[in-house]
Amino acid sequence: MTLLGEFALWIALPVTAWGMVLGYAGGRTQRGDLVLSAERSIYATFGLLAIASAGVTAAFLGDRFEYWYVSNYSNANLEFFYKVTGLWAGQRGSLLFWALLLAFFAVICAFTNRNKNREFMPYVAGVLQTILFFFVVVLLFAEVNPFERVELNGVAFTPADGRGLNPQLQSYWMTIHPPTLYLGFTSFSIPFAFAIAALLNGRLDARWIQLTRRWILTSWLFLSVGIVMGMRWAYEELGWGGYWFWDPVENASLLPWLTATAFLHSIQIQENRGMLKVWNMSLVLLTFLLTVFATFLTRSGLIESVHSFATNLTIAYIFLGFMGAVLAISTLLIVHRLPQLRSDNQIESFLSRESAFLFNNLMLLGAAFTVMWGTMFPLISEGVTGQQISVGPPFFNRVNLPIGLILLALVGIGPVIAWRRATKKNLQKNFMFPVAVMLGTGTLLWVLGARHELALVTWSLCAFVLTVILTEFYKGTKARARIEGEGYALAFVHLITRNRRRWGGYIVHIGFVSLCLAFAGAAYNTDSRFNLQPGEEVEVTSPYGHSYQLRYEGLSVSIGRGQRNLIWQAIATVSVARDGESLGILTTEKRQYVNRGTQPMTEVAIRSNLQEDLYLILAALDDTEAALTNDPEAQGIDLQILIKPLVIWIWIGCLLLTLGTIIALWPNVDRKRRDAEPSADVEPALAGAD
Amino acid sequence: MTLYLGVALVTAAVVLFLIHPVIQGIHASLDREDDELTETEARKRVALLALRDVEYDFLAGKLDEDDYRTMKAKLTAEALAALAADEEAKETGAMGSAELEAEIAAIRRGLQGAVRCAACDFSNPAGSKFCSACGQPLLETVVS
Repeated sequence: MTLLGEFALWIALPVTAWGMVLGYAGGRTQRGDLVLSAERSIYATFGLLAIASAGVTAAFLGDRFEYWYVSNYSNANLEFFYKVTGLWAGQRGSLLFWALLLAFFAVICAFTNRNKNREFMPYVAGVLQTILFFFVVVLLFAEVNPFERVELNGVAFTPADGRGLNPQLQSYWMTIHPPTLYLGFTSFSIPFAFAIAALLNGRLDARWIQLTRRWILTSWLFLSVGIVMGMRWAYEELGWGGYWFWDPVENASLLPWLTATAFLHSIQIQENRGMLKVWNMSLVLLTFLLTVFATFLTRSGLIESVHSFATNLTIAYIFLGFMGAVLAISTLLIVHRLPQLRSDNQIESFLSRESAFLFNNLMLLGAAFTVMWGTMFPLISEGVTGQQISVGPPFFNRVNLPIGLILLALVGIGPVIAWRRATKKNLQKNFMFPVAVMLGTGTLLWVLGARHELALVTWSLCAFVLTVILTEFYKGTKARARIEGEGYALAFVHLITRNRRRWGGYIVHIGFVSLCLAFAGAAYNTDSRFNLQPGEEVEVTSPYGHSYQLRYEGLSVSIGRGQRNLIWQAIATVSVARDGESLGILTTEKRQYVNRGTQPMTEVAIRSNLQEDLYLILAALDDTEAALTNDPEAQGIDLQILIKPLVIWIWIGCLLLTLGTIIALWPNVDRKRRDAEPSADVEPALAGAD
Repeated sequence: MTLYLGVALVTAAVVLFLIHPVIQGIHASLDREDDELTETEARKRVALLALRDVEYDFLAGKLDEDDYRTMKAKLTAEALAALAADEEAKETGAMGSAELEAEIAAIRRGLQGAVRCAACDFSNPAGSKFCSACGQPLLETVVS
């Protein structure tokens, strides 16, 4: 099976090349047979990559340590579950997995468009096969072939056991977080393919955007959820209480998210007002490039090998070449089509939703630029001065916090401003109440003792935005109830279902507010560390004023003898009370895995509620050696106690964001109904207001 | 041996699958199909959506009455032009479906037929109480 997989990867090379050439040729000559063959090559590519992936998985399950990839990311004792997910545990497999997912989306795209949008499909097939061709080339020729054998002095040999999977990756979140991100990265290729197809076939109206809106939203959703899952993994698994570090790998996934978010907003201007056509083309191109860049950054090993830069430059050159070519060709195409990409309209007034959207775009791109700059800075500085200077979280925070606050404010301002031209008087009227709520919230929090300026500003803005959005829901429901004569509950449901994009979008915005609320909570994190003997009790005070009493009950040690790759496990039990009232026990552990002489891993304990998380870290054992022999004198530990306000709202925000996006994505019954019974939707929309 | 057989089979299947359309001359359609929006239909849709936005913004209190009237008059004119252009395109090209014709007629009635201003003879959409052009109250009752 594994050998067949390896051959399948080689067969995929000519197949993708074939599809690439025939797609463009078929589009150029308008020959349907060539196009059909190009589309079939997409299905074939998916089949071949599936066989190749199955080959890798078979190698993992069969403990075939003669393969370099398997021997480096698995061992005989690894749990079955992690052997199955081994396909995306490391660089080599995940590049194959990336290609497989892209081929999967390409198949969906080809299949759903087999009878429609035919004028786009030749080029869409061509573009998708170009990207797939590129990844197959990388897999085969950039020294990252997952089917490469282990060699010792040029002679093939089979290690007795693998080196095992990095314990930090042995986490539930880590098995679903990368695939989710990859789904986001790869699905963005489809809008990109349609954009290029539009540039090639000259249909430059909003059609390509309408066709790909769902793809863009889907891809954005996967990206968002993938990023938050990564935060969750970091929070639970890395064991120091943070969820975001501005680490290059995180930044890499944030970059396309920022530009995709900008794109989601700016396409509305093109759809509604026929403006920003060049801008949208550029954004989709940029986002696609950034998804490739993210893959490159996280999976080329470039950042990992910052210390040993020259380990594998082949893959870096291939990726840079590909990105350069994509950039050059797309720019040429846009320049070539420039006359047809002129705006149908102009912005009529600074006080309009269009300009709010534009401002939002500028902010998002500004954030993307700073993140990009900060991420690349070590490499740039090394190139220029020969010295690596890393840019830490302070840089990112200083630049991105103000941008984030402006964006948050815009989320509140946008809905209240009318398209085209807003009237100052109305703005004042509409803003009066939300601004009052904002100031009231700020004052209230001040009175309650909150003194951190940035957090106060953020929370007040959150209150402002929330008021605006809820007022929108209220007014919309009321207006609908009045026009249609419906009850309020029905009117509310119809309000959302009749314009899913708008109201789904608002729900996403509430999710964003929830995230901002949580991020600002970090200003009130507390962190204390105690050395405790069994039976000792400590007290920590929460920023809310209540206090926790924590009593260290004792240590229990188990020796794993290599089962599940565990050597030993030391579990500290802590009973927790809040203001004297018992809350039960929490356990935090140190684990030593068999792997590669790694440090013991920490498993943290988290007790979460809507207010705050109580986060316990078994920071150190007083004497590990003695503790493992159950020496009663060596039961002392260092316990780190963190209180992290509002963290749960990150996960709640992510759920809201998902819900809103799904509402916006849901197939539009509206449109069908409008076609079927014309009077139902159009007339009320056009009927004058009383 | 089994491996080579497998590889040969996969390769043969892929090659046949790919060259079959070219050899047999099976052509995929490359034409735009009928249910897609045409240029004029797209314009019509945008114009109608814009009208809906203005209505919504006015109802939600984001536009004051003066702006609402001027904008509505302008957009109504745009929408009517788009409808006319679309109808013209339909007549010269393929006939639209009966449903679509009915829809257009209904919208036309909604936009044109409803209330004619006694002072300036401007056609106001159904349900208007004031004339979009001159601002005079419209006295006629609207027949629904």
